[in-house]
Amino acid sequence: MTIKHRITPYVFLLPGLVFLAIWLVYPMGHSLWISLHDWKINPDEISPFVGLGNYVDTFTDSQFWRALKNTSMFALVTTIGQLILGVLVALMLNRIARGKVFFRVAYFLPVVTSWVVVSLIFRFLFNSDPSGMVNYLLVHGIKVLHSPISWLNNAETAWAAIYSLGIWKGIGFAMVILLAALQTFPEECYAAAAIDGASEWQSLRYITLPLLLPTIILVMVMLTIGAFQVYIPIALITNGGPLHRTEVVLSYMYDLAFHDLHYGSATAVSFVLAAIVFVISQAQLRLKRLSYTESVEGGA
Amino acid sequence: MKKLLYSTCILILIAGSLAACSGAGTPVTQPPNATGAPATEAPGAQPATEAAPATGEQVTLTFWHTYNEDSPENKMLVDTVIPMFEAKFPSIKIEPRIEQWPNFMQDLITQISAGVAPDLIRSDIVWVPQLADMGALVALDSAMPDFNELKANMFPGPMSTNLWQGVYYGLPLDTNTKVWIYNPEMYATAGIQDPPASMSDLLSQCEAFKAAYPEDYYFAGVDVTAWSILPWIWSMGGEVLSPDLTTATGYFNGPKTVAAYEQYLQLFQAGCIAPKVLGDGQDTYSGMAGNVYASLDDGPWIYPIVDGQAKGKKLGAALFPAGEAGSIDVVGGEDILLFKQSKHPQEAMEFIRFMLSDEAQLKMAEVGVMPVLSSLAQSDAIKNHPTFPIFMEQLKTSKARPSLPQWGDIDTIMSDAGQKILREEMTAQEALDAAAAEIDAKLNP
Amino acid sequence: MSRKRTEFIVQAAFTVLLLFGALVTLYPFLYMVGTSFKGATYIFKMPPELIPASPTLENFVEAWASSNFGSYFRNSLVVTAISTTMTILLGSMMAYAFARFNFFLKKPLYYLVIFFMMLPAMSLIVPQFILATQFKLVGKLSGVIVLYIAQNIPFATFLLRGFIEQLPREILEASEIDGASHWNVFWSIVLPMCKPALATAAIIASLGAWDEYVWANIVLNTAKVRTLPVAIANFQGVHVTNWGLVFAASLIAVAPIILFFIFLQKFVIKGIATGAVKG
Repeated sequence: MTIKHRITPYVFLLPGLVFLAIWLVYPMGHSLWISLHDWKINPDEISPFVGLGNYVDTFTDSQFWRALKNTSMFALVTTIGQLILGVLVALMLNRIARGKVFFRVAYFLPVVTSWVVVSLIFRFLFNSDPSGMVNYLLVHGIKVLHSPISWLNNAETAWAAIYSLGIWKGIGFAMVILLAALQTFPEECYAAAAIDGASEWQSLRYITLPLLLPTIILVMVMLTIGAFQVYIPIALITNGGPLHRTEVVLSYMYDLAFHDLHYGSATAVSFVLAAIVFVISQAQLRLKRLSYTESVEGGA
Repeated sequence: MKKLLYSTCILILIAGSLAACSGAGTPVTQPPNATGAPATEAPGAQPATEAAPATGEQVTLTFWHTYNEDSPENKMLVDTVIPMFEAKFPSIKIEPRIEQWPNFMQDLITQISAGVAPDLIRSDIVWVPQLADMGALVALDSAMPDFNELKANMFPGPMSTNLWQGVYYGLPLDTNTKVWIYNPEMYATAGIQDPPASMSDLLSQCEAFKAAYPEDYYFAGVDVTAWSILPWIWSMGGEVLSPDLTTATGYFNGPKTVAAYEQYLQLFQAGCIAPKVLGDGQDTYSGMAGNVYASLDDGPWIYPIVDGQAKGKKLGAALFPAGEAGSIDVVGGEDILLFKQSKHPQEAMEFIRFMLSDEAQLKMAEVGVMPVLSSLAQSDAIKNHPTFPIFMEQLKTSKARPSLPQWGDIDTIMSDAGQKILREEMTAQEALDAAAAEIDAKLNP
Repeated sequence: MSRKRTEFIVQAAFTVLLLFGALVTLYPFLYMVGTSFKGATYIFKMPPELIPASPTLENFVEAWASSNFGSYFRNSLVVTAISTTMTILLGSMMAYAFARFNFFLKKPLYYLVIFFMMLPAMSLIVPQFILATQFKLVGKLSGVIVLYIAQNIPFATFLLRGFIEQLPREILEASEIDGASHWNVFWSIVLPMCKPALATAAIIASLGAWDEYVWANIVLNTAKVRTLPVAIANFQGVHVTNWGLVFAASLIAVAPIILFFIFLQKFVIKGIATGAVKG
């Protein structure tokens, strides 16, 4: 390999790495440092070094575990929901001849609207009082309920509202990425299959889905990473309540930092969360590596 | 697998060395500077701050507040009050900044950490002990030569919210309290002659009300946080903490507090209190405007809000129903605080003085912000104000919440206990016993 | 059954299903649009109405006319345009490096980059703000732009790497044999083949910049440099909020992104030049 060839990748990496180094890596280092201290916010005061004390506090805090459990459930339910619906929509959208732009825009609108606005809308929709649209539709519209539900007064029903928000917001995201992938599949494969007499269903099953699998996993990883960092819907809809039962890791962390002023502990929580998400996403990505080799070997 | 391990090790090495480098660069390991312990210095011992008074060079002060963009308070502040100040002090410019209440602490902490705290803030009173404890505030009682005169003109309740460990860190900027607000029409229809004078009237009035309005609610509470539930506790002679603010056991789970919660539960179970207290439901303002709720306790801001939703609606106001300890509601309001990191403390203090002057306070009173000056309480503007007098009356007996950095936690514990009681997951005594123990743990870690 | 008939049924069935899904998806959005046309919405009427009985434009007028909304809009545009362009450029370069080459420290660097997708941005705000203060970037649009670039690069890199990895290797290697420099291969061959992915990454990166609130609030602390999310939040009050106003302002804010998306998604349809391998 020539010298030029060996340094080329670094040249391509350099500009991006500079930004990351200054604005992400250095602050992360600083953050890590903070997490090892009982950090005093006032820069004039000494912050005592506590080593892994903050981390131990995190792992021994039952509120953290409850938040983690809630977050994991949220990630599981919403990721699966968004993936399944996203794949279905992408496949159907790729197939129809007319109205593509309309549907694309329609399904993508939730993604484009800010989390704050979307959370507010859902909170109003799920209001327990007579102005809540969901109750109104369920009781008077399609009449499946006798009396309105106090959605946000109980954890289980509150989660229903929050899960639906999470799934609703992300279907378009999955759809867009999957659609982009679908565009790159070689036409020759389908043409050849058609000539060989394969039905549409067979094309779907033996060409499209295997080729799509790596992207599906990619999307799954991104959705999972995003879901673990859910914060705004919780803050705006239930604020962790009632009785902290809808607390998620980030809302727990926020309160720890800016309400209780245990900034060092809060930073420790962020690293714990990042580590957990890292492990989960790596596990998911391993699946991708397997699927990729399969599709390359068995594909066109 | 080996590659993953190898990569992770490198990552940790990189992160670790960066942490050490960047960490060592921060003041974390430096000794505190001379002003490290202001709280224990006697007033007067702290040297007058060094910055020279306005010499004619332009000075800009940042002032954070929570009035939203299109509110009358913000318009009055920006269009009238601040220009009045700048006309008096041409070399000082005030730069107000709107901060959303939920983000306030986060943004404040971020700026303090970077050494660029705002000069002044209009602070929720519960933040004062936290900020004071952090060492971020200038102790106004020693920094301002005319402090004692200013203090003498304040109502004691609001003034006490600025006290932390024997030092006054700020001054009240505006105050408020809640009174019993009710719908006179609904009362009349239900045959209720007068608003409840004492707690013992509540149940009978509620029953009369329910007979006339079976679908609606006699009382609407927002939730069971301290702000909402303390009037009930205090008026019944209960308490949250011991007088020296070190213990909750014996007080929060004392017999009178338990009785207060049990009374509240009884009213709730009888259908007198709207289910909104559990967390969600029709909000109090639209409920009052829409004749769904007949009474609540709230502050003077309720009038324009209800009027905005139901023009011309008449609301009655009375003192909070008295329990055996009297009619005691909660002192609210905001204090004005000055940060140590401010580069222009002298100019900032001029602004404080101005905001506490009669003219500024009266102007803000025009848009519904109650003044903190007791001298104004007797003025015609206030005595003839359409809504203020009852609040001033209530202020005489209203109490401030304990001034502690842990108050946020304590509030949460109280609210959780109240929720458990209302949801009947625990009896009042059980819930309060557990809560008192939790609070003690917070106070004496 | 004739092919035409089957085809028609398939088209109809899918279209109906998609329409149903679209309706459910659009419903909350319609609710927001409906509310923005309601006057003085401090409360919501009971029973709830989707389309207001007497729609009014007053919220839109007030949102736009109130203090500088136009300049907030412009600031958001500048910030988003610059940060998105840089993010895509730098992200695709990094993605190319990771997808195409093997080199020392490749794995650790890659893990480092994507690790930042998993570390909550919230935890870095204080250190980042301290940095921004030291660089004197507070109160300037550049203070926000550089951070958005840094924050969005990991995601862009991750997404684009995934796409580039799936490109046919023959094309890339063919041009190298022909003597083309890596930069040429990158710029003239790989990027055009990635148009769908680039468009997707561009949309999502621009969302990250356009809707970001926390950092914008704390760095862009004067009205001169304020961006839309902060301006919209400032319509919310302590006791009550005029939701019609907030939603109207949000609609004004969401319009450009939708237009950007409509514009970009043309690139997502355009297929790659499948003839490239043969040529």
